[in-house]
Amino acid sequence: MTKSREDHNPGRRKFLKGVGIAGAGAAIADHLWTEAEAQEKQPTTLSGNVKITLDVNGSPRDVQVEPRTTLLNALRNHLEPAVTGPKLVCDVGTCGACTVLLDGKPAYSCLVLAVDAVNRKITTVEGFGSPESPNAVQAAFVEHDALMCGFCTPGFVTTISAYLKKNPNPSLDEVREACKGNFCRCGTYPRVFEAALAAAKATAG
Amino acid sequence: MQQQQQPQAQPSPKPKKKIRVPKVVNGVEQMVEIEVDADAGPGWGPNDKHTLLNHRVTRVDGPLKVTGTARYTYDQRLPGMLYARILRCPHAHARVTNLDTDAASKIPGVKAIIQAPLTELRFAGAPVAAVAATTPEIAGDALRAIKVNYEVLPHVVHAPAAIRPDAPKVVAEENNLQEKGKNGDPQKAEAAFATADAIVEGEYISQRVHHACLETHGMVVDYRGGDTATIYASTQGTFTIAADAAKELGLTESAVTVSVEHMGGGFGSKFGLGLEGLLACRLSKQTSSPVKLMFTRYDEFVMAGNRSGSWQKLKAGVKKDGTIVALNARQYRLGGLGPGSQAGQPYIYRMGDTYREVYALHTNEDSSIAMRAPGHPQASFAVESLMDELAYKIKMDPVEFRKKNLRDEVYHRQLERGAQEIGWSKRNPIAGGNAGPLKRGMGCAVGTWGGGGNNQCKVAVTISRDGSVGVAVGTQDLGTGTRTYTRLIVAEELGLTIRDVKERIGNSKLGAANPSGGSTTAASLSPSVKDGAIKARMMMAERVAPLLGNPKPEEIVFAGGNVSANGKSLSWKQATASLPAAGITSHGEWRADLQSRGIHGVCFAEVEVDVETGHVKPIKMVHVQDGGLPLNRLTMESQINGGMIQSLGMALWEGRVMDAHLGMMLNPGFGDYKLPGSLEMPEMVPIIDDGDKREAVIGIAEGCIIPAVGALVNAVFNACGVRVRELPVTPDKILMGLSKGTQITQI
Repeated sequence: MTKSREDHNPGRRKFLKGVGIAGAGAAIADHLWTEAEAQEKQPTTLSGNVKITLDVNGSPRDVQVEPRTTLLNALRNHLEPAVTGPKLVCDVGTCGACTVLLDGKPAYSCLVLAVDAVNRKITTVEGFGSPESPNAVQAAFVEHDALMCGFCTPGFVTTISAYLKKNPNPSLDEVREACKGNFCRCGTYPRVFEAALAAAKATAG
Repeated sequence: MQQQQQPQAQPSPKPKKKIRVPKVVNGVEQMVEIEVDADAGPGWGPNDKHTLLNHRVTRVDGPLKVTGTARYTYDQRLPGMLYARILRCPHAHARVTNLDTDAASKIPGVKAIIQAPLTELRFAGAPVAAVAATTPEIAGDALRAIKVNYEVLPHVVHAPAAIRPDAPKVVAEENNLQEKGKNGDPQKAEAAFATADAIVEGEYISQRVHHACLETHGMVVDYRGGDTATIYASTQGTFTIAADAAKELGLTESAVTVSVEHMGGGFGSKFGLGLEGLLACRLSKQTSSPVKLMFTRYDEFVMAGNRSGSWQKLKAGVKKDGTIVALNARQYRLGGLGPGSQAGQPYIYRMGDTYREVYALHTNEDSSIAMRAPGHPQASFAVESLMDELAYKIKMDPVEFRKKNLRDEVYHRQLERGAQEIGWSKRNPIAGGNAGPLKRGMGCAVGTWGGGGNNQCKVAVTISRDGSVGVAVGTQDLGTGTRTYTRLIVAEELGLTIRDVKERIGNSKLGAANPSGGSTTAASLSPSVKDGAIKARMMMAERVAPLLGNPKPEEIVFAGGNVSANGKSLSWKQATASLPAAGITSHGEWRADLQSRGIHGVCFAEVEVDVETGHVKPIKMVHVQDGGLPLNRLTMESQINGGMIQSLGMALWEGRVMDAHLGMMLNPGFGDYKLPGSLEMPEMVPIIDDGDKREAVIGIAEGCIIPAVGALVNAVFNACGVRVRELPVTPDKILMGLSKGTQITQI
């Protein structure tokens, strides 16, 4: 299947090979240009795979993606085995459920192209702990029932875990401010705040 | 082996009684009468005597959910799986005259394109076609490459326009306005108004609110030819999908297995196969591949349902002593293509001579569907606003006024508790009477719900010779804590800890279970689990009795991980070692006597209104809720919080915005549809009303979303003196009210 796509657009494939990863920006510009052209002429595929290596939770992960593939999509739908902790909820950077850390800083992985995440340390919620050995934030979320359906939870855990590194002793208002980019629908906010403050205390103690 | 008919001793017939129980079909609760045993065995015992139930226990799936390990439907990825997307109609009313898929089907990676089975498209966002491709991106390319020609027809999307006689018809040959019922005597009500000391007349409007489940609707249909199929679905009803899916796939119902391990929110919107499931089945069948069709967020806003809007014209008369003498209500249910839902007025109050007319008013919008307490927050908002207005007219305290008009003592108890917790005595009775531009105010409201169960759950409890204990039933956990209390009930009955029991749920090959609608899950499931656990305990007691000096099985005590009688004690492992190699399995059936229905709740809210900007800041919310035996106090409180928070959204921020000319939704995304967020959270106080001594399980999820909207709008009035009768209470409406000094209804 991959082969047929490459066959379909050899020029583009060669172009990507030529510029390599450093040319990711150019690849995006090329993508825009191709789309405009596609609208003028007849619809054609915009595909063309590029082989990249992502550093996910400390492991190098080889994957073939199109330049337009988001990091979120690469993690969930292209890596084998998949990394599904980050959730696809809005896909346009409004809800925070797909939050990952890039070199320690929170980012919406639906707004980052996979090719732009090369050479950066990607940490997902799976990278903080396991059910048997959770980090302080994860343990506090369970203890304080800071989750219901749990679909927003990986995003909150990631955001707060990163924030507590930056500010180990936050106030309630600082916690609210830190997770203003994450939405929950079940209504767990009060207990998310409790959990974040408890995790800070546990880490300090 | 041949079965021989054995003559059986006739058991003496148990005394029976008839009860009415709720049954939920497609998220809609109906009442049916059934016959049950009058007394079916041991009960729960007093609510304060439990060792695990009615305690604070962390949820058993918590560790999976906080580490990204829990596998949701959206996380399923199968070998060779295709990704499906739906092409949607951009017009509010149209017919497809030509669908050209030639270019789209030539895109490498596109595996199938099918047309949606709709001849006339009656809302913007109606499905036109569906594609399956090897990646989500290619599926998107295919959607853009499909050319559709439409015959565009006239449309109407706003209620005041739809009610006009010359309005475009939503469905040809049918009136947009459909009468749904009349109750009471209009002449009597009119005569009673003459005896009133004060009259309030107002139009109350509630908006279309979206469920906004974070996990969108959808499923993975795994059918690769052959005799069986598996469907991974984000659903509130594990058993609501197989029959319709089987029809599409050409299989028998039992050949289709439905799995829902974890699900990311439903709130009433996820029952049945749905049009998306039908399309996914057809794509899977056509390609002989697993097909994943999850809604995009846009899809979710335009086609996954919403809370019915309401337009309520109310007129009530009251005497100076607080007696309400008459109500005249004209209620329009705004359900788009659907009938909508709205509880009848005067809702929970007594209002003397009442007359009401109820109508469905149709527009070119997708049908509203069940949403957490369907029809109730709408009716509650209107009547609680009206109650407040009446109280201010006769200068009576709103809490006292409610007590005067509520017979049930439980409400009196709860109103007193809530008033104390919010600090009602500090409230300024003069609306807008506080000094300065930041004005605080308080409001209150009252709600009720059924929450009873029905006879649908079949639970297997298994004790193995190695000591492990399993409980299996096909129910689903929406995030309510179902997994956790299922374990707790079995563990408590067998004297074990929660870690000693493992539950299996979320699969249609396990024992039957009811769909999670109408808050019926807890009261349907827990009696069956309890019954299964009691039976397992008795089966085991008979086995171990010889090791304990042959006591009667019911005299054997299961506690603290030991099995004891006659001063002799066995550890759990010693006891289970006496079981046969296959262990023992009991079959739990529903027992009516272990559940009940009818819950009460009150909500108090304090807000701060900035009269220079019209901005409303919620300060504090208190919700007092009863519910019989609280299975798990920790998760029950979380649900009460959730009810308050979703109400905050409905009261202050959320709402679908439709463009009259284009007929389409203008805010189908979280960037423009304002959900409650972390910055707006007030202090929240969820209170479980332990004054309720009923030793019975009752569902509370919906009861705790009903009164908060009314409490909030009443708090806004108390703060700034502006009565906003149209939701959401946005700054523009408050500023308009402050400048004009009038009640605000914009419609």
